[in-house]
Amino acid sequence: MQVGEREPAPAPRNRWRPLAVAGVCVTATALVAAGSLRGENILNIQFHTFQDSRGVTVLEPIVDLDKDFTERSGLKVKFGVDAITGASDSCARCHPDGANSQRTFVNVDYRRKIGDYKLDVGGQISRENFYAADTAMVSISRDLNKGNTTIAGGYSFSLNQPQLHPTQSVENQYAHDLFFSVTQTLTKNTILQLAYDYNRISGYQSSPFLRTRVNDIMVVGNTPDLRSRQAVVVRLRQALPGDTYLQADYRRYFDTWSLASNTFSLGVEHYFKPSLLVGFTYRWYGQTGADFYQSSYTGNPIYYTGDFRLQPFNSATYTGHVVYTPAHRLLDLLPDKTAIDLQYDRYQASTQFASSMFTLGLRIPL
Amino acid sequence: MTRTGRMVLLTLAALAVAMWTAGCATVQPWERARLANPCMVFDYNGGQADFASHWQSAREGSSGGFGVQGGGCGCK
Repeated sequence: MQVGEREPAPAPRNRWRPLAVAGVCVTATALVAAGSLRGENILNIQFHTFQDSRGVTVLEPIVDLDKDFTERSGLKVKFGVDAITGASDSCARCHPDGANSQRTFVNVDYRRKIGDYKLDVGGQISRENFYAADTAMVSISRDLNKGNTTIAGGYSFSLNQPQLHPTQSVENQYAHDLFFSVTQTLTKNTILQLAYDYNRISGYQSSPFLRTRVNDIMVVGNTPDLRSRQAVVVRLRQALPGDTYLQADYRRYFDTWSLASNTFSLGVEHYFKPSLLVGFTYRWYGQTGADFYQSSYTGNPIYYTGDFRLQPFNSATYTGHVVYTPAHRLLDLLPDKTAIDLQYDRYQASTQFASSMFTLGLRIPL
Repeated sequence: MTRTGRMVLLTLAALAVAMWTAGCATVQPWERARLANPCMVFDYNGGQADFASHWQSAREGSSGGFGVQGGGCGCK
């Protein structure tokens, strides 16, 4: 074994079994929940598409059930599939005719009010070709000051397991995330939120698919084993005259790989009539590169990477969306207040990468 | 003080200001009609927010700040 390589962990015997078990449990629980009682209950069905300038297409149907089953408890279950077609540049290196992949994920979130607190406990299981991720998360929130202030905090732990394709070896990556926020009503038309996020990732963090040139030889990257990431977010929601709403978000991010970024988004939404909401959002993102990132390497570098996400660049995203909530029953089939949501996103980066995303959603009150 | 230390201090100061302003808020329940509009709720459409967060983290070096983060993925 060469310097810088690590001994791979053994591949799991059956990476799909936990997902199958979770799926059965989720379905059973959801059916029990759906069959009982009342509350603000929503079935959200969304179909996302993603297509980028490399020719990669992703189709993602998602079903999301959110149901209260007592006055103080509720359950949220989400199931989705990513079907990926067309090879990215990293895939095309070995599969010039294209490659297909798939990701399946299940989220379960149980919430309960305990006194003045709201507790959420949940988890996520995600399986795809050459990658597995399992996450447990807990969060708690409390309203103060007659509901004008909400403080919230949360923690999650993820075990991520990339497979070093084309071998069967699997590496481990551990991620801890700590989140804290304060949401404050400033006036009867203004809400402000401040949030802080600390994320610590340890273990294998290179991508087996992304290669870089070291002394004119293409090799998989070698990145530090530890990365601590922090983000500070300020978000504002402002109601304007004439059924118009302003949304502004700012995020400052930095990490121990010396990557820092600024993200700013500004959106406007307007009700042209009670059943028709139209919105537009502009998002600007700019980042510095990681301190060890270079387009190619010479000599004997300790760290090297071909990860395009670690290079300096900026991007712009343009989003338009329409929400239609007809006053009458939709198609005489769906319940009152069922909403149809259409959204289009256009993402353009200074690296010449561009992508388009389209979403068709159906929000059905149960 | 390091940049990290300054950012943490800044965050704590901002949170302290928010906590302090909490005592000044006078919005009563019957004045919250517009505050209850979905446009005023952060991440009202959670599914759309999750999707955006996913493809952004697959293309950009930074992520987080909008809630507890989930697991990774192999999207490249």
